[in-house]
Amino acid sequence: MHVNVWHEVAESNMGKAGLLLIGLMVALAVFAPILSPYSPREKTDAPAFSRPSEGHWLGTNDARQDIWTQLLYGARTSLSVGFGVALLSALISVLVGGTAAIFGGLYDRFWMRVVDASIAIPDVIVIILVAAYLRPNVLLMILLLSALSWPGGARVIRAQTLTLKERMHVSAARTFGAGWSHLLVRHIIPDLGPVLVAIMIQDARRAVFMEAGLSFLGISDPSMMSWGKMMQYARIFTYLEVWKWWLLPTGLALSLTLIGLSFTGYSLESALDPRLRDAEGHEGGI
Amino acid sequence: MLEISDLKVSYDRTEILRGVDLDLLRGDSLAIIGESGAGKTTLGLAVMGLLDARASGRILLDGKDILSLDERERRKMRGKEMAMVFQNVEDALDPLMTVYDQVEEAISTHLEKGDIQDVGDRVNGLLGSVGLKMEKGGSFPHQLSGGEKQRALIAMALANDPQVLILDEPTASLDAVSKADIIGLLRKRIREKIVLVITHDISTAAKLAERMAVLYAGRIVELGETKDLLENPRHPYTRGLIRSSPNMTTTKDLQGIPGRMVPGVPGCPFSDRCTQRIDRCRREVPKLTDAGGRMIACHRGGIVPLLELSGVRTSFGDFAAVDGVDLTLFEGETIALVGESGSGKTTLAKTVIGLFEHAEGEIRLEGEPLLRRDRDFYKKVQMIYQNPKESISHRMNVLDAVIEPLAVQKVGSPAERIEIVKRVLDEVELPPDDLFLKKYPHQISGGEAQRVAIARALVLNPKLLIADEPTSSLDASVQAKILKLLLNLQEKRGLAILFITHDIAIARKVSDRMAVMLRGKIVEEGTTGEVTTNPVHPYTMKLLEVAPDLAQKRDVSDFRGGPWSASEGYPLRAREL
Repeated sequence: MHVNVWHEVAESNMGKAGLLLIGLMVALAVFAPILSPYSPREKTDAPAFSRPSEGHWLGTNDARQDIWTQLLYGARTSLSVGFGVALLSALISVLVGGTAAIFGGLYDRFWMRVVDASIAIPDVIVIILVAAYLRPNVLLMILLLSALSWPGGARVIRAQTLTLKERMHVSAARTFGAGWSHLLVRHIIPDLGPVLVAIMIQDARRAVFMEAGLSFLGISDPSMMSWGKMMQYARIFTYLEVWKWWLLPTGLALSLTLIGLSFTGYSLESALDPRLRDAEGHEGGI
Repeated sequence: MLEISDLKVSYDRTEILRGVDLDLLRGDSLAIIGESGAGKTTLGLAVMGLLDARASGRILLDGKDILSLDERERRKMRGKEMAMVFQNVEDALDPLMTVYDQVEEAISTHLEKGDIQDVGDRVNGLLGSVGLKMEKGGSFPHQLSGGEKQRALIAMALANDPQVLILDEPTASLDAVSKADIIGLLRKRIREKIVLVITHDISTAAKLAERMAVLYAGRIVELGETKDLLENPRHPYTRGLIRSSPNMTTTKDLQGIPGRMVPGVPGCPFSDRCTQRIDRCRREVPKLTDAGGRMIACHRGGIVPLLELSGVRTSFGDFAAVDGVDLTLFEGETIALVGESGSGKTTLAKTVIGLFEHAEGEIRLEGEPLLRRDRDFYKKVQMIYQNPKESISHRMNVLDAVIEPLAVQKVGSPAERIEIVKRVLDEVELPPDDLFLKKYPHQISGGEAQRVAIARALVLNPKLLIADEPTSSLDASVQAKILKLLLNLQEKRGLAILFITHDIAIARKVSDRMAVMLRGKIVEEGTTGEVTTNPVHPYTMKLLEVAPDLAQKRDVSDFRGGPWSASEGYPLRAREL
């Protein structure tokens, strides 16, 4: 079985669009200092609520800060939280799901009950409660969101590991005397790759959305630059014309990020699942 | 009686016999077998008192020590007390004398004065008794066929009814039919004598001698009853000899013995060619000791049992896939486990290697009960699988795959590991170059992939290889090459192989012993030749009937499809080892 998943993702239109959007957002975040001469909190010389101009592409807000700059730095927060949660929660998922599948028995049952329990808890409420108390910054946000998003992934990883475990090359490695860490690192995780990335993208999408939501509700670290926070402030001034270049571009940026992640995730899933694949246009083959 | 004790003979400082002890009574027949240069003929010549070499020890014939007698006394005994049928029929007869004259000469040499009148009758009687017609007596040797010359030589040896008869390669250079005639003749004529049959031809030895001694580099390494010794050789050298002798009893492909015989090896003479040697073998000479009715000279007590299963049971829920299996696998031996799908063969294999846990019974490896399979266990036991491409991760190239066991076992430095990989790849006849090392499983053929899998199983230098249908996914010509490779590796490394197959035709060619498995039990077990030619259990018979052959037509109407469905009434495990 040697389907080149990444190749298929890059070939499909949806995959292309998704990767392009993600790439764009990453570029904006990374090159923020180059793309804007201001810092996000700096009071500019322009008056408050000034309209888009050559110096200020998206005008300024009530505190005379440059909105374009804030948008760029907001991307950094969103993507950091997204990638951070994706990595951390995937790591926990692999450790829990993978070892549960390999060891089985009581250990497996214990973790799966933990997963069941945490999936049963309505996580949005929990996050809002905890966040309201902790006022999380980026790092804490990553920890908080990861703590609630790993169980779903762990369940998928466990199922996948159970099938991979029965593969002959894994059996063969066991008969070389390999321990579980070797099996996991050398045999299981490489084959989990595509599934793992699909889970990570999904986690990232939820994390970006949750972060924006929490910031919008005003229960994240007040010093944190965030699209959610921008929208929260912009919302107050909707009676002014300023929403056109304050609220709208921010919402658009958030939507495009989410769409990018969704598209990539979807095309990856369809590449992984033969039933979702197009009848033609894939190389397939064993 | 003939009593040989601590006989040592050396030519020019090369010790040919290095301490031989034998006791033979009247009526005993003993075959001395071994490779050329083992000292067989020297032993015969020593008993005849014909040695032209330094000898020590004693050869007592009825109390007289042949070695210490002077030549005049020996001459008196030679031909009368002991006689020898020499190896080379062409040279042993005088070309200028008729057969009659030569036999007459043999008699008259030992004749007391005045007994001349009945010599003619005795010669004719002798010639008749060895099956030579009267008129052949007047022939010169060159007028006779090889078989007739051999008969004449036998007549000469029997001329004075000697007590000891030494037959040195009595049937060498004869065609099969003459050979059978001569053997038949000898069997009749050698009763009530002490007979030493010196031969490298195991089949001749088996027919002429009740007991058999295996001589290696001047020492007897194994001695026992002929039938028992041939069916169940206990010394690795004896097994090697049998494996390299073409015969109609064993069905396994011929295998040789690695290396060659070198005189003067310190310690056990066979130690440099032995695949189960330990340090002690190189230092001390093993004594010929009695081991249950058999004399063996081996520090390890003969071929060691590598894997012993007793009452092993593996169940999935209530269903016992392996249901009380007893099996012993010896060092350097192949046992074929045959049976239809679902008979529990693979489950048994996976139980041994530890992929399944056994519920009951005991598994012993090298005599130690196996309680826990740690890393060291997997250095000794490895497995190859039915589908080579699936058994190698598709994300690993050849180098990654073959080096993995070394990395897991933390053998050597990274550079040494690569060297080991290259050496083993070379051993399994794969190119050890960088181009091949970089190839992925989907870039190589099925045969190459199985070789890679074999190389991977061999890098740890295991003693036991479990081969689970290793060739069933390969086409016939590739299959043949892989099977040959396994046989060669066994010969070279002394690898014990548990060979699992549903194909009894393959099993017949590659295994020493065969175990037939049915519903989780072994129903028949024995040497492969015996099981395939003379099956006892009806299930084995059925397997043999449906086994592939090249006959064009056969009546298959009697065979019903589906799994074996005989009543439980048949005796399970009909043949005990």
